[in-house]
Amino acid sequence: MTAASGAPWLPVGRLRRQRGRLRNSEQVWRWAMMAPVLAMLTGLTLLPLCALLVLSFSNVTWRNARPILTGAGLSNFAALLHDSLFLTSVRNTLVFAGVAVSIEIALGLTLALALGAVRRGKDFYTTAFMLPILLPGIVIGAIWALMYNPDFGIIDASLGALGLPARDWLGNPDTALGAIVAVDVWHWTPFCFLLLYAAVESLPADVFEAARIDGASAWQRCRFIALPLLAPAIMVVLAFRAIIAFKVFDEVYLLTSGGPGTSTEVVSLTIYRRFFVEDRAGSGAAMSIVAFLVLGAVTLAVMGVIRKKRR
Amino acid sequence: MSKAAARAGANPPRHVAKEGGKDAMLKLLAAALLAFLSAAALAAEPPITIAAPQTPWFGGFHRIVDEYQKATGNTVHLEVSPFDGLLAKERAAVRSGESPYAILIFQVQNFVEFYAGGFLQPLTAIDPTFKLDPQVYTFDDTVYWNPATGRCERDGGVLMSVPVNPNTPVLYYRADLYAQHHLKVPQTFEQLLANAKALNAPPRIYGFVQRGDRGTLNIGWDFLPYLYGFGGDILGNQKQGDFKVVLNSPEALAALQFYVKLAHEAGHPNPASVTQAEVIQDLVTGRAAQAMITVAGSAQMDDPDKSAVVGKIDYAETPHAAGHVSVPPLGHWLGGIPHNLPAAEQKAGLAFLAWFQTEKAQMDYARDGSPPVRRDVLTSSLANEPHFRWMHALAESLQHARQPFFTKDAPALAAVFDLKLNQALAGELSPAAALNQAAHAMEDILQKDGYKTGILPDLKE
Repeated sequence: MTAASGAPWLPVGRLRRQRGRLRNSEQVWRWAMMAPVLAMLTGLTLLPLCALLVLSFSNVTWRNARPILTGAGLSNFAALLHDSLFLTSVRNTLVFAGVAVSIEIALGLTLALALGAVRRGKDFYTTAFMLPILLPGIVIGAIWALMYNPDFGIIDASLGALGLPARDWLGNPDTALGAIVAVDVWHWTPFCFLLLYAAVESLPADVFEAARIDGASAWQRCRFIALPLLAPAIMVVLAFRAIIAFKVFDEVYLLTSGGPGTSTEVVSLTIYRRFFVEDRAGSGAAMSIVAFLVLGAVTLAVMGVIRKKRR
Repeated sequence: MSKAAARAGANPPRHVAKEGGKDAMLKLLAAALLAFLSAAALAAEPPITIAAPQTPWFGGFHRIVDEYQKATGNTVHLEVSPFDGLLAKERAAVRSGESPYAILIFQVQNFVEFYAGGFLQPLTAIDPTFKLDPQVYTFDDTVYWNPATGRCERDGGVLMSVPVNPNTPVLYYRADLYAQHHLKVPQTFEQLLANAKALNAPPRIYGFVQRGDRGTLNIGWDFLPYLYGFGGDILGNQKQGDFKVVLNSPEALAALQFYVKLAHEAGHPNPASVTQAEVIQDLVTGRAAQAMITVAGSAQMDDPDKSAVVGKIDYAETPHAAGHVSVPPLGHWLGGIPHNLPAAEQKAGLAFLAWFQTEKAQMDYARDGSPPVRRDVLTSSLANEPHFRWMHALAESLQHARQPFFTKDAPALAAVFDLKLNQALAGELSPAAALNQAAHAMEDILQKDGYKTGILPDLKE
């Protein structure tokens, strides 16, 4: 018996063996090519995560300059349920991320659509809109700390010129989180704008032209054509920004350090303090694992929505 | 000489210029080599790096390090970091293979962590003949550590560090405004409040400004003179091994209620966010009539480049409640030598500390703008000079000053302490709730770490 195709002069068994060898050698080659990446992934991502996981189930003490890890079971995680600072920081982070990201996407989309309709000077506007994202976090913190300063900041000076009373925006528990949201919006709206503008520029012009000829108004073209077509891009931006917003640290650390009270306490700041100031590595690791799981869940949920939209 | 010859002399041929350049270069190299060799010959110790904090007293420390280098020829690098960053750096240094720093300057809430963890080399292990000068304050014996008992004990303990700064709070008050309003220096908190109300005219000037921001012993350190001054405390007799949490006591409640009242009736409109730098800024700009902050801030009060109140601020011991005494907290900084360092660098570090504790160095240190750590300097004739008028208040304060924590969990306890006090000042919690919650959290931390602890019955909220 000979094979119907391929090499007809070879017996089937030999052909199968040869194919198997080929497949094996292809697989070996594929794995060999992926090995450096896998090694890097294991070394830089999985191993630290595993170490963090081990740490979260331990308590660490130091004796004779050596760490002693003792098993803590689930106690570090159980303690988080009663840790009012951690719970407040989770709530503040969710509020911060929800409000800031919503405003940033709305503003970024508006700017992207507006710039999409502009005929001249696109490069100028794009560069101008991009400026805040080019600044390092530490500079942004310094700039806004000066602007918010109740004694000589430009914000209160402007309010004063309008006859309005000055406010200690960062020192007042009622306004501190809002003031940080405003800084974040200023900082990250360009990021949303940039991604959404790329999506706007790739929208099919003929569809809009056809709708216009059919008598669709500008609002109708935006609502029923642009937004549905932009939905996947919006979801991607949402996913990126939600992840970054959930990890907010520098703006809060530089402007309020979590205060006054706990009004601007966010998860990253609590984790930082628990690890590096209080030196409670087990508790800090448990917080990190919970934060990682929450972020993972948010990412998976958004990816699920994106997949659904694509289908 | 022809014009051409003259021109040639003025502009020598390129090869001649080159040779002249070579000569000059060789001379320069020889001079540099000579300078290097003579510096190396003068330097008795290898170069060292000191991890130092960015604090109000750092200017004086920087200058005294320069003087040490000039006097000895030894090279000292300073690596300066803010509070939180410094602690993280120092922890990483002593937990790694070899410390990049020969001297760690650490604040007093971290000293047990460094001693008990085995991170510092006992100074007498580096040089058995080394002794702390008897004139140097031992600050509640926090420079000693007895590994057998796990306590700070002079008897049976070993010398672990040398004090670098006596960071104790004193009362700063505007002497000119006191004179205008015919006020007396307050002995009690009630007198302090009365004076603050008399001087309070916001937003032009606040009667009293508190450091209410949250960190690790920011508001906590600001509050401690009130807590101690009302007869309260955080923990039991720690030096005898009693770590019972006594923060939720009626005395502590009275202290916190007064602290909040002072802020609301005569203080900054948003005290829960005011940092130490802002208190100093308010004082030097004339926006604060009174404050209780570290004595090290005094250097800026009379600096004409920074201050609008030169010569107008005076200093006194922190007040107390009627029937009690003034007890400020110790907040001093200590200098220790890491365990994970080559012996030569350890010796070089100790050489600096030995020089630093001498009377001459401490006199210069004081003149450079930093409070000294020697008793004889603090009570010397220097204290009678107007520029050093803060010395009397400091010397008085150090007689009663108390160390808040003698546990390696101090950073965690301080964080809880600060958080709950800040929440009370910001209006998030009532004073009683803040103290109850802080006490429970502290007991939990101490219990987990195996300390003999306990707690008082909850205050009525």
